[in-house]
Amino acid sequence: MMRLAPQSEAPRAAVTSPKSAATADDAQHLAGLLASIANSRCRRSFSELFRYFAPKLLAYGSRQFGNEQIAADLVQETMTNVWHKAHLFNADKGAPATWIFTIARNIRFDLLRKNKHRRDEISADELWPILSEQNESLEDDYALDREILMQEIGAYYAQLPEAQREVIEKIYIEGKSQQEVSDALGIPLGTVKSRTRLALIKLKELIA
Amino acid sequence: MIKAHPTDAMLHAYVAGELNSASALVVSTHLDMCPHCRRMANAVEEELACEFESAPAAQLDGDDMHLMLDAIFSSSASKFDTEVSPYPAQAEAQAPVKPKDAMITLEGKRFQLPRSLANQKHRIGPWSKMMGNMWRAPINLGTDEVANLIYMDRATSVPEHTHRGTELQLVINGVFKDEYGSYSDGDMLVLDHTHQHTPETTDEDCLILAVMDAPLHFTSGISRLLNPFSSLFFR
Ligand SMILES: [Zn+2]
Repeated sequence: MMRLAPQSEAPRAAVTSPKSAATADDAQHLAGLLASIANSRCRRSFSELFRYFAPKLLAYGSRQFGNEQIAADLVQETMTNVWHKAHLFNADKGAPATWIFTIARNIRFDLLRKNKHRRDEISADELWPILSEQNESLEDDYALDREILMQEIGAYYAQLPEAQREVIEKIYIEGKSQQEVSDALGIPLGTVKSRTRLALIKLKELIA
Repeated sequence: MIKAHPTDAMLHAYVAGELNSASALVVSTHLDMCPHCRRMANAVEEELACEFESAPAAQLDGDDMHLMLDAIFSSSASKFDTEVSPYPAQAEAQAPVKPKDAMITLEGKRFQLPRSLANQKHRIGPWSKMMGNMWRAPINLGTDEVANLIYMDRATSVPEHTHRGTELQLVINGVFKDEYGSYSDGDMLVLDHTHQHTPETTDEDCLILAVMDAPLHFTSGISRLLNPFSSLFFR
């Protein structure tokens, strides 16, 4: 909502909360640097971003590792990620500092385990989504999946028995949890689950 | 409605990147299922990022900076190409997991995995039958930690036991109960030696993600005979 506000509203926010407004300006400037790195591979923007974040990353790395060399590796690897992945930064989802922090956090985790390196080892990026991109988009993605799913099975949908169709509709269209469906329809949770399973099996048969 | 959530300390440790892989997998899967904790985790993330940004910076001399910048500008982008990304989760984060890819099948039943687990589907090993009507599939994280999917059919119970280390359990689908309460989809439990319990299912089955750092310790009657073999249930 905030980002949709017209320009003329900005000064009012600055008056009520000068400190956070200044921080927001900084964040906006840094986001601008990231945008020009993403759009035009601008080395000057990156150098400015680097001068701002590298000493902070070095301090973070030193606190984490107690070792200057590994801390320097963390700076190098984090900023290399920033250089190549600037297009993945999304200002709507958080501040540049938050994005860079989550990258550094993940690289820290992987650096800590490099000694006992195993090829198949799960990586930090698989466990910690960068800047919550995975978390925040979750509902949207599920909604999308549901839509695709409903399109695929829409034609067969009407062929389900009424009781199963009702449950499937509440879960896949209204997005209710199975517990909520159980409460809404006044039927046991186990019944909701078995109806869901039966309906999905039936649909699968119809589609196959 | 999810009743059992990770503690604030555990969420904080997760966001800070201080949990081991197996525990992080449980927490991230809980976050997939729990909007409340997702909001909390996002707030902690911003708080830690703010600390990171406002902490006193270290000295980095000009020569070092130029060396680093040169190395970065001459680094190859291919490693970051999504086609060959060493960071599969990130590539997958862009493209949602399709419902059919997130399904697992056991004993003729199909379960939808939350995204964090679905992304690790290739790490899930074969199902094997444990005692009673329980099945287990190991999740190979490529670390020394033990993570399993455990399936309890309805009307199944585990003999009373305590936990030698700490065990995290997350209900993926279904219901089980013990002396302390009843747990269903999304509930996350932290169990240690202070919890002596007898988990069981009644009229519903249950799929659980369980992660532990030591085997169970059975406490009652004849089930104590299981103790010498308890590690078999989890390795
Ligand atoms: Zn929660």
